[in-house]
Amino acid sequence: MRYVDAGYAAALATMVVYAASLVVRRRRWERALRMSEPAAEPEGAPVRGEPS
Amino acid sequence: MSEQVTRPIRPRRPRWLDVVGVLGIAAMGFTVWLGLWVTPPDVVQGNLARLLYIHPAIATVALYWAGGVAAGGSLLYLWPRTRSFFWDRLAASAVEVGAVFSALTLVTGSLWGRPVWGVWWTWDARLTSTALLLLLEIGYLALRRVPADLDVRAKRCAVAALLVAVDVPIVHFSVDWWNTLHQGGTILDPGFDLHVHGIMLWTMGLSFVAFTLVFVWLLGMRYQVEVLQDAVGDQELDVSLSERWSEDAELVGVAGPAAHGSGDAP
Repeated sequence: MRYVDAGYAAALATMVVYAASLVVRRRRWERALRMSEPAAEPEGAPVRGEPS
Repeated sequence: MSEQVTRPIRPRRPRWLDVVGVLGIAAMGFTVWLGLWVTPPDVVQGNLARLLYIHPAIATVALYWAGGVAAGGSLLYLWPRTRSFFWDRLAASAVEVGAVFSALTLVTGSLWGRPVWGVWWTWDARLTSTALLLLLEIGYLALRRVPADLDVRAKRCAVAALLVAVDVPIVHFSVDWWNTLHQGGTILDPGFDLHVHGIMLWTMGLSFVAFTLVFVWLLGMRYQVEVLQDAVGDQELDVSLSERWSEDAELVGVAGPAAHGSGDAP
């Protein structure tokens, strides 16, 4: 039975680890997207490159 | 760069994907329960036959589902009328999930082959072509990481995915074209007569459903990662360009009056 157990364990563990890695990657990219978005500037603030 | 790339969409996980995930996990749990505890040992193979409740289903996903989505998505991207980054991202996601299932196909097959054939590995046509499939999938994923414009990358990867897909029929027909240690049709023979019956057949059928549902779930999750990845790359490009433009504007603002002689010159 040890080959059978090893086969089931390998299949299930691989899928669990891969699914978890996808969740982690998704969160990391969501955070990166939030950080790369330009912060909203307050109304009336001078635009960069223009005289204030 | 096309419009759909410059305006990235932040993906929301659709409700149906959660439903598919829950169904897949439930079906998988049921398959494991039936496969390990309910089904009787096989007359010839004994308990080792239990590995056959997962190995063919994993191989089916790796070969036909993942290979089919990757090839179909790539063809639809290359076809000008249907060209969309949706197909490119779907194909890339299918190749990565397919690589995981291809690796599992080799591992579970090897774990079955060691006690039944007496070897972990043999250069049999079916095994070798499956290993080649995994190598081609890894090659595709490496190619995708090569920096390039999104459109160039998508075209390059679509061609690579079609090359990967060439191996799919070779794997399928390898047991017919060559004299292999790997057996031919396990469930059906060429006359469509079933070789598996009763609870063994139901367990095997359920395993195909379970692994297919899990594949769709993983594919959906991987697709969302792909969309986010492209959106971040694109956002960073926008920020870099706007910084560059404002730097240029500042330089022109400083150099402008002197260059035109409209300053304090007498």
